[in-house]
Amino acid sequence: MNTLSLKKSQLKKFLSKVMQSHELIAPLKSDLVRFTKIEEPKQAGEIYLKENAFFPLKEYFFRKQEQIFAFDGNKITVNIEKPQKRVFFGVRKCDLNAIKHQDMVFLEKNVDPYYKAQRDEAVLIGYHCNEAPSIYCFCGSMNLQDYYDLMFYDRGKEFIIDIGTEKGSKFLSGFKDMVKTSEYKITENDKKIEGTDRLFKKDISGLYDNPGWQKGVDMCVSCGACTTLCPTCYCFETKDKKDIHDTSKSERIREWSSCQVKEFTTVASGHTFREKREERFKHRIFHQLEYFKEKNGIDLCVGCGRCITGCPTRIDFVDIINKM
Amino acid sequence: MKQKTILKLKVKNPYIPSETKVLEFYRESPDNFTLTLEMKLKHDPGQFVQVSLPGIGECPISICSYSGEHLKLNVRQVGNMTNAMTRLKKGEKIWVRGPYGHGYPMKVLKGNNILMIGGGCGVAPLKGIIEYVEHNRDSYKDINLVFGFRSPNDILFQRESRDWTRKYKMVVSIDKDPHASDVAACYTGPVGFVTDILKKQTISPTNCVAFVCGPPIMMRYVIEILKGKGFHDDQIFISAERLMYCAIGKCCHCMIRGKFTCMDGPVFRYDEVKDFKND
Repeated sequence: MNTLSLKKSQLKKFLSKVMQSHELIAPLKSDLVRFTKIEEPKQAGEIYLKENAFFPLKEYFFRKQEQIFAFDGNKITVNIEKPQKRVFFGVRKCDLNAIKHQDMVFLEKNVDPYYKAQRDEAVLIGYHCNEAPSIYCFCGSMNLQDYYDLMFYDRGKEFIIDIGTEKGSKFLSGFKDMVKTSEYKITENDKKIEGTDRLFKKDISGLYDNPGWQKGVDMCVSCGACTTLCPTCYCFETKDKKDIHDTSKSERIREWSSCQVKEFTTVASGHTFREKREERFKHRIFHQLEYFKEKNGIDLCVGCGRCITGCPTRIDFVDIINKM
Repeated sequence: MKQKTILKLKVKNPYIPSETKVLEFYRESPDNFTLTLEMKLKHDPGQFVQVSLPGIGECPISICSYSGEHLKLNVRQVGNMTNAMTRLKKGEKIWVRGPYGHGYPMKVLKGNNILMIGGGCGVAPLKGIIEYVEHNRDSYKDINLVFGFRSPNDILFQRESRDWTRKYKMVVSIDKDPHASDVAACYTGPVGFVTDILKKQTISPTNCVAFVCGPPIMMRYVIEILKGKGFHDDQIFISAERLMYCAIGKCCHCMIRGKFTCMDGPVFRYDEVKDFKND
């Protein structure tokens, strides 16, 4: 397919126009780089693409906390708000693949209507890394796929735009004044990101009882930062909350939960199945690199490295596996 | 502020339970009761449902009946949800979704002898199988039941078991001698763990499958004994219990290594999970 191009000097104009019809969410730098809702057109010029966002996009689709249903004392009602049309700009390849993996979880079997509502109205515009934005990146080892509506490649004075879906193509049709057709052909070489093939052992199935895990286990404090920052971790729990003014009314809430916390497997009788930190530590990594693949044919992990960047003791599980 | 509109769903919402009524609340023991629900549900023996009391929560309960007419759930009072359920009375509302999971592969096992070993409320899913077998008696040969409970007061399904003793080979045992504690001193049945009872029995593993359900430690020792008697791993079926929220393979709390208790289980053939020890 032919590619398109957009002059970098016109990015601000492009995004301002996006904001006329859509809510725009893009990375801004404050204390950290975060995906932020862009409120005013002048902020569109401040979009920060030098490093990846500290927090993934996950919470925009799979909400940190949301209502499953409300109960009025008699009947259950579902209130899923119709979301805004949203454009996500500057999403890295790892995060796009993370969305793909969450789509597999929430949209393939037993469709999750809460996730679907958020996901349906979203246009994903990627920004392809030219080099690894962090020393902890290892996406080059993770067999990532093309999964985007549009992908921006940073090429000198212009962005080369690759169209990934019909949705992306339709979206761009409104920008003919700025976006021109280009002769540039995206090759496999363009899709490579230097310095990101860091995980050398691709198959960890035989490593469960390897003593090498102990190094990570010793440093782990079971805080759950890794699972919170992970763009693919999708575990959740539900709880019921009563209305304090009228206790016959209540709502069921769904929240993220972390397999690193002991209570994750504690049943009502008090028994905890993954009692040892070692078991919990391994469970996350095996879910990312093995269990998900057994069921879905693809690694869950996308190699963004956030679980390492965000770890208070900097446990680099890639390094741990490599040394086994 | 923009008006918020509520989305009309085009897909079925898998998290929403349907409303049903309690037909009977029957107390089996001081901390265990059976609920009969006015719900006609097509299910396999060994499957479970998610039971909700809005405002309290939701929990998985295995189905302990097999009938097209109603649904029976046997519940042990251990947590918030199950304690709240004790307040349910006949005619009151309860919310249920399911059935979920893989039950016992009864069709594949046709023509076999069945040995069922249950401990405590682990007998509940096995009761579903007994009822299934009653509906399909010609398809299975000898039925051998070995059930263990803590004390005479904890013996479950006394209403039904009178009938079972007539029809099948059955031993109900209690863990400790009750005369020592003077509780229920009129108990005259066998005393000892199910493992002790099992050791004494002559059981041929030929054309026989064993269903084991109970506390993890009991299951472990029972499996050891069965293997000593010549049972192969693929002749043994266990029923697992885990914390779970969604029951549809998403929330991940019920994972046993790479297997989801809610989707791949709760009934596992022992050779599928034998390497997983305690996690």
